[in-house]
Amino acid sequence: MDKELEKISALYDGELTPKEMRETLKNLESNKEIKQKFKEFGVISDIFQRQSNQYKKNILYISNYMPKINPLITNMVTAAATVLVTLAVIYQLDNNRFQVDKIGAKQLSSAISSDEAKNQLLNADENIMEHMIHIMQSNESHGSQPLSQDWIPVGFSVNPRNPYQYSNGRNNLFFHLENKQLGITKVKYFRANNNWIYLIPLKDGRLLTAYGDVSPEVANPMIQAIYKRK
Amino acid sequence: MEVSRGDEMFIEEIKAGNRMAFDAMVLKYKPKLMSSLVGYTKSHEQAEDLCQKTFIRVWQKIDTFRGDSALFTWIYRIGINLAKNDFASSYSKNSKVTDSLDFDAHEIPQYLSPEAELIAEESELKVMKFIETIDVETKTAFTLREIEGRSYEEIARVLNCPIGTVRSRIFRARQLILEYMKQENILNG
Repeated sequence: MDKELEKISALYDGELTPKEMRETLKNLESNKEIKQKFKEFGVISDIFQRQSNQYKKNILYISNYMPKINPLITNMVTAAATVLVTLAVIYQLDNNRFQVDKIGAKQLSSAISSDEAKNQLLNADENIMEHMIHIMQSNESHGSQPLSQDWIPVGFSVNPRNPYQYSNGRNNLFFHLENKQLGITKVKYFRANNNWIYLIPLKDGRLLTAYGDVSPEVANPMIQAIYKRK
Repeated sequence: MEVSRGDEMFIEEIKAGNRMAFDAMVLKYKPKLMSSLVGYTKSHEQAEDLCQKTFIRVWQKIDTFRGDSALFTWIYRIGINLAKNDFASSYSKNSKVTDSLDFDAHEIPQYLSPEAELIAEESELKVMKFIETIDVETKTAFTLREIEGRSYEEIARVLNCPIGTVRSRIFRARQLILEYMKQENILNG
């Protein structure tokens, strides 16, 4: 019976061979229990769609365009990104879990949501793309170097529980500092819905990445100050 | 846009005159269409009548479906156009709203099947929490299908496993969820 029901599940998804489909349709037509199961699969789908709808619309699926950006990125990475996105969506469905995973989810959705972000990423250098993936996949402080206190933007103060997060009460900024510049000579930024990602090459050869719900108008004085202080 | 890759299979069979494929498609989409039409007409009786007319029209016009939109989007437009015509004719015999199937695409409101609507928000969250407890392989295959609308072949590539395994995992996820819903009295059965 389970094999028959498995075919009904695949029929619901339209994933049977023509031969299997005809056989399964006959079963569906004649067996009330099977018909009921087909309807129940629809109920599950409806519930899942309703609960995930608010999250999924904010997320572009990175696997759709990653190979176009960098054909050298292995399928493994693409697969990992796809699974990561999927699991992030699931985790966001649970409020408690969401809080635990909030930073990761924030990185992920801020970096890959919106058509504009997609287009910008499509035009981005492949190294920058890899850097973005790295940011998305790493934890907040993982691999990042200590920040100079001089870089703290005016009006922003550090989160005591996370030395890489700054807030002015309304907006948040997260920082990554690494020993690489990816060939960037000027500040680049990416917009993703209400979030922005700034790639700031420092004169000493390091790259400061800042991201959060801070627009260029607000970020610009901070960036200027960083350059002046250097 | 609603993603439903599997509909191509139904459409091909229906175009070839397979009545059972049409019945399965009705079984799949009637609850959702009914819910949309009840929302539009505020009358269950009227919605039932419109629903029947809609599926008759779908059967008659399936050859004109070009696949530019998801199948349910197309069905929904037919249903809503019929409802508009009903509404217009009840006020004026001379007025007629277009029944063109090609008007601009628009967002379909989030209507759910009556069965799903009966399930309280709290229960839905319980179901979502339960889904989190399912093993990662099963849960991932299921969500790639339900959230991203990925084909089994694509899921198999992503998860690096045979298509048959994907099919089993998705079925297993659905079975586990249904068992949980019945055990928690979220779904009768």
